[in-house]
Amino acid sequence: MKIKDLNKLDNEGADSLPSEERRRFLRFGLTVSGVFLGGSLLSLTSTRDAQGLTINLPEEAEYPYKPHYSMVIIQNRCVDCERCMDACTKTNNVPGYGFRTKILEQMQTISPTRKEQVFMPVLCNHCNRPPCVRVCPTSATYKDKTNGIVMMDYKKCIGCKTCMAACPYNARYFKEDNRAIDKCNFCFDTRLSRGETLTACANACPAGVRNFGDISDPESNVYQLLHRPDKVSWVLRPEVGALPNVFYTVD
Amino acid sequence: MNGRHILFGKLLGLMVLAGILMVGLSRPSFADEPYDEETYGPESPIIWTNPVKAVVFKHKRHTLEAGLECDSCHDEIFQMEAGASEEKEDFTMASIYEGNYCGGCHDGETAFAANSRCTACHIGVQGYNKLTGNTETHGGH
Repeated sequence: MKIKDLNKLDNEGADSLPSEERRRFLRFGLTVSGVFLGGSLLSLTSTRDAQGLTINLPEEAEYPYKPHYSMVIIQNRCVDCERCMDACTKTNNVPGYGFRTKILEQMQTISPTRKEQVFMPVLCNHCNRPPCVRVCPTSATYKDKTNGIVMMDYKKCIGCKTCMAACPYNARYFKEDNRAIDKCNFCFDTRLSRGETLTACANACPAGVRNFGDISDPESNVYQLLHRPDKVSWVLRPEVGALPNVFYTVD
Repeated sequence: MNGRHILFGKLLGLMVLAGILMVGLSRPSFADEPYDEETYGPESPIIWTNPVKAVVFKHKRHTLEAGLECDSCHDEIFQMEAGASEEKEDFTMASIYEGNYCGGCHDGETAFAANSRCTACHIGVQGYNKLTGNTETHGGH
């Protein structure tokens, strides 16, 4: 409907709103604002339905690529030695102001008087439904049709940074050298296409944190790590619905 | 309206009381005593950066708090000379799992197992920078 046509319409007013519509609006308001009570934020309605932990894991039929590259990170093994970051920087010529992967850190209280660090490696999640690809105006970033890696065509990139804003995982940076966005591509150009089977970061990790492989193959280490019934596994920000291919689990 | 005010006043009183209790209880009784380095070992933490960056060890935690003596570790499983263990080829997790170095106690029975709770000792590059006041950014990051 065009704006001109809209102006011709009668004002419906709030009185004629169907109660269903009204309820939905109220529910939205209560969900968003919540109530600040006793030091914790209490939402009057649940923001989304409770989900089982395995809901994030794709079903067998949901590996559209071959090989379907994936990384499974054993989070509690990470000790932030940052050898992965060094290897990534050297392999992919990452400048000092940018990063393709990094280690997040958080202090966790383990007793009333003690705190302990928790580390979590992050990188591009090579999502099955990548928000960055959806917003790119020049198709400079795209999902590889064979292996599902979210790639960059630097020549097409106009540096508008829309993809940076769209990415839920902060996995992109603007590289001054070629005036284009740069990001993790699972070392496709620097290693995988040259016959290596691991990314630089996975290869450099001394603690087996970063496990890389083809998740569509039930024999692969990534598939098996992810299908251990006694271990919890998760993805980051599942509510975005981007369907990441980087999974997290614990020992 | 009046009832609500009274309830609010009671709540506020409870919160203040809880606050005072928490502050009072969280203070350890030996906090005022000066730390004796002769008895308990160096106060400043030992930080190893080989073979990975970085691992922290605090004498205070092991002697004053856990009740170990100097000769529990020195010089049998750890040489007292600073940096001596770090130089050795077998200063690795594999060797620790076999009962060497930290593994002498961190076996899952005497103290938590060396192959659990990694970040109790491994503080990483970021922990190292925090402890040493190093603000130099990581190459490439």
